[in-house]
Amino acid sequence: MTRGERRSFFTGLAFTSPWIIGLAVFTAYPVLASLFYSFCDYSILKTPVWCGLENYKELVSDDLFWLSLRNTLFYAGLSVPLGTIVALSLALLLNADVRGKPFFRVLFYLPSIVPIVAASMLWIWIFNGQVGLLNWILTPLLAPFGLTPPAWLVDPTWAKPALILMSLWGTGNAMVIYLAGLQNVPKELYEAAEIDGATGWRRFWHVTLPQLAPVIYFNVVMSIISSLQIFTQAIVMSSAASGGTGTETDGFPARSTLFYTMHLFATAFYDLRMGYASAMAYVLFIIIATLTWLATRISRDRLN
Amino acid sequence: MLILASAIFAVPFAWLALSSFKPLDQAMAMPPTLFPRAYFAPIGGERVEVTIDGPVRQGGVVADIVAGSDAGKRVFLPADQALARASELTNAHRVGENWIRVIEREPAERGAAPRWDIVPPEAVDSRIRFRWKNYPEALAALGGSEDGGGVSFWRFLGNTLAVCVLGVIGTVLSNAIVAYGFARVKWRGRDAFFSLTLATLMVPFPVMMVPLYGVFRELGWIGTLLPLWVPAFFGSAFNIFLMRQFFLGIPEELSEAARIDGSSEWTIFWRIILPLSKPVLAASAVFHFLYAWNDFMGPYLYLTKKETFTLSLALQAYQAQNGGVQWHYLMAASTVTILPVIVLFFFAQRTFIQGIATTGSKS
Amino acid sequence: MSDPALTSQLRVASSHPANGGGLGARVKRLLWCAGLFSCGAMSFAAEKVKVVYWDKWTGPEGRSLRAVVDAFNRSQDRIEVEVLTVSPVDRKTLVATAGGNPPDIAGLWAYNIASFADAGALTPLEPFMREDGQTADEWQARYYPVYQRITRHNGVVYAAVCQPAMITLHWNKQLFREAGLDPERPPRTVHELDEYARKLTKRDPRTGEITQMGFLPQEPGWWPWVFCRWFGGQLFDGENITLATDPRNLEAMRWVASYTKDYGKDAVTKFASGFAGQFASPQAGFFSGKVAMVLQGVWYNAYIREYKPGLDYGVAPAWPSAVPGIDDFSLAEADVLVIPRGAKHPRGAWEFIKYLSSPNLQAQSREELTGIELLSYIQEKNSPLREWSPFFANHHPHPKIDVFRRLSASEHAEITPDIGIWTEYHREVLAAFANVRLLTATPEEALADAHRRLEKSWARHRRSLERHGQLPAKQNAEVKP
Repeated sequence: MTRGERRSFFTGLAFTSPWIIGLAVFTAYPVLASLFYSFCDYSILKTPVWCGLENYKELVSDDLFWLSLRNTLFYAGLSVPLGTIVALSLALLLNADVRGKPFFRVLFYLPSIVPIVAASMLWIWIFNGQVGLLNWILTPLLAPFGLTPPAWLVDPTWAKPALILMSLWGTGNAMVIYLAGLQNVPKELYEAAEIDGATGWRRFWHVTLPQLAPVIYFNVVMSIISSLQIFTQAIVMSSAASGGTGTETDGFPARSTLFYTMHLFATAFYDLRMGYASAMAYVLFIIIATLTWLATRISRDRLN
Repeated sequence: MLILASAIFAVPFAWLALSSFKPLDQAMAMPPTLFPRAYFAPIGGERVEVTIDGPVRQGGVVADIVAGSDAGKRVFLPADQALARASELTNAHRVGENWIRVIEREPAERGAAPRWDIVPPEAVDSRIRFRWKNYPEALAALGGSEDGGGVSFWRFLGNTLAVCVLGVIGTVLSNAIVAYGFARVKWRGRDAFFSLTLATLMVPFPVMMVPLYGVFRELGWIGTLLPLWVPAFFGSAFNIFLMRQFFLGIPEELSEAARIDGSSEWTIFWRIILPLSKPVLAASAVFHFLYAWNDFMGPYLYLTKKETFTLSLALQAYQAQNGGVQWHYLMAASTVTILPVIVLFFFAQRTFIQGIATTGSKS
Repeated sequence: MSDPALTSQLRVASSHPANGGGLGARVKRLLWCAGLFSCGAMSFAAEKVKVVYWDKWTGPEGRSLRAVVDAFNRSQDRIEVEVLTVSPVDRKTLVATAGGNPPDIAGLWAYNIASFADAGALTPLEPFMREDGQTADEWQARYYPVYQRITRHNGVVYAAVCQPAMITLHWNKQLFREAGLDPERPPRTVHELDEYARKLTKRDPRTGEITQMGFLPQEPGWWPWVFCRWFGGQLFDGENITLATDPRNLEAMRWVASYTKDYGKDAVTKFASGFAGQFASPQAGFFSGKVAMVLQGVWYNAYIREYKPGLDYGVAPAWPSAVPGIDDFSLAEADVLVIPRGAKHPRGAWEFIKYLSSPNLQAQSREELTGIELLSYIQEKNSPLREWSPFFANHHPHPKIDVFRRLSASEHAEITPDIGIWTEYHREVLAAFANVRLLTATPEEALADAHRRLEKSWARHRRSLERHGQLPAKQNAEVKP
């Protein structure tokens, strides 16, 4: 290194030093320690005892692990595509020149920044089987078909769909991104499409969607990652629905809302099985990494 | 179509706001009342404010018992039973099917059994009345201050604000400095380090949760607010990325000119780059504030004592406390938690919308 | 600074198999305890020791706890106890103990003891009792047997009873009258309970929706496991999980399912969802007259006065008999005080526990009540002690307190099984219970499913205890081939 290079090397290190510490203490160490613990019988109150692959072996035959994984995939598998469709539709609606566009944009966006705990309280109330607003609206609508609405959060079949419905209410963030993306689509493309006689659905399919693809791809990956880690709303809502029976990480009713992160949290901090929880965490890490890698590959193939 | 969609998005907010002004029995009434109301009906010849207990499905007799161990109690009996026990009863009067059971809202004597009666629907009248008292009562209930050992709502608010403000300061300062090192200084190993930084974006928090807890335990920070804001002073991959992108867009000539004048990198950063970067600083400040205000998992993990709770955690703890909860208070407390976010949004609307739009499409 | 006598007593405690461990661990623990005690002793000399006490209750229970703590603080000038409300107290305490920042006293539920002890989160109390010249058995002789059992894990005392409760059937006399039942006679057998329940159920004649039910197993649904014991089943025999192997557990779950089957799943779910989770509220099932009979504890009287003043109700002398010959079945619950491991002032904590557990048994007036009697008096609960002071026994504010005192002495007063994986066990039973009553699984499936998982966790739990040298000697011998 020349003197100048050395100088700028140290300047660079000096500027990034907060992050070097942050990365080491708050990211790198935890990631590595967690890997070590995943091979140990460990609770923070006792010393870690090496137990090899035992934790991972146990995971394979652990019903609750699989159940929490299934629940989480069910949630992510529905909420991500539905959320994307809703956000995209809203963005398309707003992209047409409507009056009061800023107002609508604010309205659709606001729910996504409301504190999840407070929003959950509100939705618990709306989903209430007897006095909830949703069933009050649904009852007369379903009556002609001889159906009655479910009791949502206390019904094992409907608790997850309820959470998905609530997640749709919070898609405003993606909507704003899509809207920005839509406005970046060059006008000439639409004009060209019009000359070719493409309108409506075809124009959307052949012009808008390909232009928007990178943005959609980015958002879908981000929402997969975050929906696989669903935690707060599930904790709040299942605890409220259970009415204080059991614990808030049980996934009431009947474990139908036992999600992966919740289960991991309970294993680590309420059962104090931190080695096992670390193994679960690594499995989640691998799942997320794989999905992201897959999504990257697919989108790269499609985009080219 | 748009109207329908916006109705769906707006109704929950409206419902929240309206419920937060209702007395408990109306918050739980079915079918729901749109606006909070006060009801009045005759009991024992007086017109008093009442709560509606709901219609009775079959007719019968309301009477007071005069004899036996139940003397003094008011009962509702099917007609045949009332007839059979006629000697024990007084003040008996017939009530019809689908009449409404009404209960005195505030008995003259606290703790005394409230008076009740069953009256024809047309005897009940009402007017709209917002119950503003829900708010002070809810805020008091949230901290459990009725017990003496409770914590005031302002404490929760103060904790939340402390975490938000300190976190915002940390985020803006540390990430700007670090991003400058990545964007405007050329040094060996920089790009590899930056790639590593981006890679950490993929690490889910649960992977780090357990050892991180151990780190904070060793530092003696469990049960304090420190784990919630101190890490913000050490940068975060996402914000570094965001700011680096912005810094890269500032023309290099500005820095070069300053370097020729003999300015240090720090001076260039502080005097030239920062003043030009207000939009991105504002965006990361606003987003961190929002993140910290809404965060639940962090406080849930690290905070043990009520006096250190943030609002979100206090709200959840109130909802989950032993013995159940008063829903109208919960709605009022939720409104209070949501309101600052909405206010912040209206003040920083442009920053918000632009911030999201850029983060979403620049990658 | 460490007191040699105390240190030698501590050796007694830590050489107990349940706390054992290798020699190294034992020495470490000894040093650790000695260190703590000497710190405690130092601060005794200097100024008032501030003892931090976490409890779970808000509302009337919280207020009464504070009253007793105030009384203790006034009674002496060395220790100042400060109460903080923490919810949920068990998990927060465990997490704080793991975080190295626990309170000095935690007001847990009795069923937490086994799992906390196995996690190494509790301080055994016997050394303190020995300091007062008594063995644990002698010290605990003051309690009714059920409350002695409730504070122990593998025979080691880890806790003191703080808020005892007995649980039995409460019924709404007014609804009994309306249904043409004798309002003074509660059901005496489960068969009668079911029959009464049918008579007490009302439906909307037009829609067929249920508007009132006689009994609902999930109201309040806090102790679904006790249904198994009630029907004579066993959950754990000291060695093995017996959830699915004991046919009487199955019978209990079938009974639970019968309520959903007989009344219709959707109808019951919809009906119950209106008040599910409401307890301290006028909307709660029993207070709003929607459910005519509930299993509730001695605390219920105070809640009734608060949320449904004037409600005309009765308290059954025991649970309806489910096993021929057992007609004094009931459930004992207790909030207990423990000293978490790593507490800064264990001695100060013990002083408060001692004050609470040794009330003035000569009290002739409200002013003379102290300790647990003062607490139980304000809370209108029974005392866990065999002996009651004249004032407490004769002027108790709960009109039916004698019923609860008799229940405390009952031979068939049940407590949660003493097993280190109770948290998980309870969670499994809750899930099984939910599946059974929602008919998403047959009772056989639900129990077998839970049983399989529990057997595995129990094996794993024992393996882990063994690994960390915590297995009690008796079990240790059998585990090793």
